[in-house]
Amino acid sequence: MTTPSAKPKAMIQDNTRCIGCRACMIACKSWNNRPADHTEFFAGAGYQNPIDLDANNYTLITFNEIVTGAQPDWVFGRQLCMHCEHPACASACPTTALTKTALGPVVFNESRCIGCRACMQACPFLIPKYDYENLNPKIHKCTFCADRIEAGLKPACATVCPTGAISFGDRDDMVAEAKRRIATAPGTYIPEIYGLDEVGGTSVLHLSSVPFEQIGYITGLPKTPMPDLTHRWLRVTPHFFALLYAVFGALTWIMHRRSSRSESKGDTM
Amino acid sequence: MTNHWIDMINADVVMIMGGNPAEDHPISMNWLTRTKERGAYILHVDPRFNRTSSIADVFAKLRSGTDIAFVGGMIKYAIDNNRIQQEYVREYTNASWIVGDGYGFADGLFAGFDPAKKSYDRARWVWALDGQGQPRRDPTLKHPRCVFQLLKAHFSRYDVDTVCRITGTPKEAYLRVCDLYTSTFAPDRAGTWLYAMGTAQHSHGTQNVRSYAILQLLLGNIGVAGGGVNAMRGESNVQGSTDQGLNNDILPGYLRTPVEADTDLARYLKRVTPVAANPQSVNWLQNTPKYVVSLLKAWWGEHARPDNDFAFAYLPKLGQGFQGQGYAFLALTHAMLAGDVKGLFCVGQNPAVGGANARLIRAGLDKLDWMVVVDLFEHETAGFWKRPGVDPAKIPTEVFVLPATSAVEKEGSIVNSGRWAQWRSRAVKPIAACRPDLEIIDGLAKAVKRGYEKDGVFPEPIRHLAWDYGHEADPHKVARELNGRYLADVTQPDGTPVAAGKQVPGFAQLRDDGSTMSGNWIYCGGYTEEGNLAARRDATDAVNGIGLYPKWAWVWPMNRRILYNRASVNRKGEPFNPRKWVIRWNAEKKAWEGDVPDGAMPPGEMNPFIMLASGVGQLYAPEMVDGPFPEHYEPVESPVRNPLSKVQSSPCAQVWQSTEFDRYGTAEVFPIVATTFRVSEHWQTGAMSRNMPWLVGLVPSAFVEIGTALATREGIKSGDRVIVSSARGSIEVYALVTERFQPFFVDGRLIDEIGLPWHWGYAGIVPGDIANDLTASVGDANTQIPETKVFLCNLRKKSPT
Repeated sequence: MTTPSAKPKAMIQDNTRCIGCRACMIACKSWNNRPADHTEFFAGAGYQNPIDLDANNYTLITFNEIVTGAQPDWVFGRQLCMHCEHPACASACPTTALTKTALGPVVFNESRCIGCRACMQACPFLIPKYDYENLNPKIHKCTFCADRIEAGLKPACATVCPTGAISFGDRDDMVAEAKRRIATAPGTYIPEIYGLDEVGGTSVLHLSSVPFEQIGYITGLPKTPMPDLTHRWLRVTPHFFALLYAVFGALTWIMHRRSSRSESKGDTM
Repeated sequence: MTNHWIDMINADVVMIMGGNPAEDHPISMNWLTRTKERGAYILHVDPRFNRTSSIADVFAKLRSGTDIAFVGGMIKYAIDNNRIQQEYVREYTNASWIVGDGYGFADGLFAGFDPAKKSYDRARWVWALDGQGQPRRDPTLKHPRCVFQLLKAHFSRYDVDTVCRITGTPKEAYLRVCDLYTSTFAPDRAGTWLYAMGTAQHSHGTQNVRSYAILQLLLGNIGVAGGGVNAMRGESNVQGSTDQGLNNDILPGYLRTPVEADTDLARYLKRVTPVAANPQSVNWLQNTPKYVVSLLKAWWGEHARPDNDFAFAYLPKLGQGFQGQGYAFLALTHAMLAGDVKGLFCVGQNPAVGGANARLIRAGLDKLDWMVVVDLFEHETAGFWKRPGVDPAKIPTEVFVLPATSAVEKEGSIVNSGRWAQWRSRAVKPIAACRPDLEIIDGLAKAVKRGYEKDGVFPEPIRHLAWDYGHEADPHKVARELNGRYLADVTQPDGTPVAAGKQVPGFAQLRDDGSTMSGNWIYCGGYTEEGNLAARRDATDAVNGIGLYPKWAWVWPMNRRILYNRASVNRKGEPFNPRKWVIRWNAEKKAWEGDVPDGAMPPGEMNPFIMLASGVGQLYAPEMVDGPFPEHYEPVESPVRNPLSKVQSSPCAQVWQSTEFDRYGTAEVFPIVATTFRVSEHWQTGAMSRNMPWLVGLVPSAFVEIGTALATREGIKSGDRVIVSSARGSIEVYALVTERFQPFFVDGRLIDEIGLPWHWGYAGIVPGDIANDLTASVGDANTQIPETKVFLCNLRKKSPT
């Protein structure tokens, strides 16, 4: 174990190296003590299980069969919390149960969660999942193994990935590496780093050989950080209320003055 | 493997055929990822597009069982396009050797076939000899009877159109594979060939591998960095198990098991010790007597003496086996069914699910008097007596289940496919009553020895067994014995004296006079006076920087990481590829640099394939029982007439027909080709992985992969229950409909193929029907490995009840 540099961290998810083995899913379950899924068959094209992220699966490999002419292809994508630079979930959360840390992870404090699901409404990637089975339900999502990172380790998924599809390091280095890969092997990658600019940038940078919408990613997201969309207006709130107080205060004063003036004139109508 | 896993990074082209490393050897994908980064091409040849195909540059599909046609075409392509490493082929293979007049090939058969015995008289295939009794040669490779010309003639029938007509490979993909792979003929380019059970488990499985070896020799890819013929072994320590001689026909170190005709040591040694074919052959196995005697001394200690043939009489001898068919797995299972086997030790194996023709196997288990199972979980074989449809009261077998520890709960070494013996410590203490295999076998041996102390039939082999691994069996003691030690004070050839009790430094020092002992000559050199070399973890690479890591663990033989590496240099010791050199001769120091050279002599006349009596790579191999060249035959169950010759399937294959379970089907009733495969998430018969809830959550139930075309015709959707049947039985599984598995256009019509993962049985968290209930008792001619990778079947949607 080494003391990590204090710079913010990121991961590269290189889907051209992913062989869909799901070691990442199992390592994640192991580290986060999630129970096993009770499944009967598969939930997606190929061997996908479950159909989506949920309270027991903080990361998910999607199986996608893409046919070009007569040539089949099997492309794997990975769903997990993007640990945004400007997380919408943290902004929406009324109890500050979600916070962005200096090292990168958007961490979740379960004891503060009231299960209101505002974060689920806010997240553009649809990541936080609700534990519907629980009488005291909380949301669940990838922790970026914040405890491991602080101890100088890599996240569990990055540790077990056999192909190096998952890289972990300082965000600057990961961005540079992602760009280098696209530049040196343009035939292998589409020229896009998913997570670089979306909603103001995230901590997970995905690379792919096919357009991201073909492998289950949400695309078409704005570059503006989500909190900015509401912040523009919410920022005004105290001023608005101050103005409101001022206006109604002034009206009240005027009305009060009028009624006390008319009283003193002795109107007895 | 001739090479090793890390060496993959040195390849310019990687061929993966009959194997699926992304799913079955996922850790190896680390190296394949890196080699792709360096610009290498990855080619994947397989009936189905699977997770390995997803990272390949070229996927070329082929119908199961047609590998020889595919590779035969590549051999013709290489020869026609002059993509031959000329110097290598001329100097280091038997291309120039002239074959005698007895050899011939016509109408699908080699000369010398006896239809009654279903075997060849291999004396017909011998060399044309000169006056000194040496094979005649033509270094110009033009003589019509030289191996090169005979090879060219043999594969002249494997033109691209004929090949694609047999394999069902789209021509464009096939040509791309041929072009890319044969580009490695250049001395500065290397091609590595990876394969696994998809290659081996066929009635002509050994000839499949022969075809790879021929092509690799033509391209100069053996003994070089990034080359080799590389088997991806199927089990975690199967390499270790074959090294230690667990197969019936080998002793430790791949020595041959004696047969009944070997009435004394001298007769046995004469039979099994090869004689050099020519003065340029090192013929390393001429040292066999030293290894055999050292082995006998290890097993019987002081009771193995010069005056009693070193206790050779104590060694069991092979007879003809059950019904004259030997002692391999298929013969054993038939012997069990016939009631010939009283007791079975089933250690780390689950044949009720994993064996070919599994219904036959389970019926055979019913006939045992007793069975001892050593495993981690109570799997289908351990619980065969309570399987569905069976009344336990009617089964008299007494079953003992001895719980074993997993690899992390014990100390010892595991040998990977690359021959790397890596020692591991115990990580956690065993739970409950679980014990390491070593302790179980040690306890058993001690008890048997005690039993034989007073009496017993022919008690000496047991009574006199030198068995001392400690009060609690110590793997270090075993490892030290495998290496071997001096039993007397000796003087080395260079004059240095060595005291009795010292570990032998290498197998070149083993002797045949009883002064040395060694439990396994190929491991001699791994646990020396320097210590346990398998436990080394120094990650410094060698001076040539090709990923040898000579101080990480220990590799047999003698820490040599790339076998036959003398073929990577010319006769002056200069590497063919100076950028990725394996060894090179330093003329000043008069020494080799780089990897341990495969033969320490200076460069010159002596040939590099030192383990073969011929000394050279065998393009023509008269030792094979079914032909000196590979020839395409259809699998024993096939939907098409062999388009290449009149001989439908391998004429020497072992085809069992003696029992009610040995039934075969035709394409009229079973028109669909079936194969079996594995997935990343489960391991072999699921004995461990189907008891792991997380893994079961990912891949819960038994299924069959069906192409969209076939599924549409049969009205099957993903998730439907389907019945898959063969002549041997039927099973019910889920259907998984996929674009990745489409029909093959073969000989003018479309042939459907489906795939069954074989991980399920009636035990475990989620039971499922057993895929091997459908496979047949058909064995390869040379090794009897079962043809589980291709058979005929039919399928239908299960009608709702």
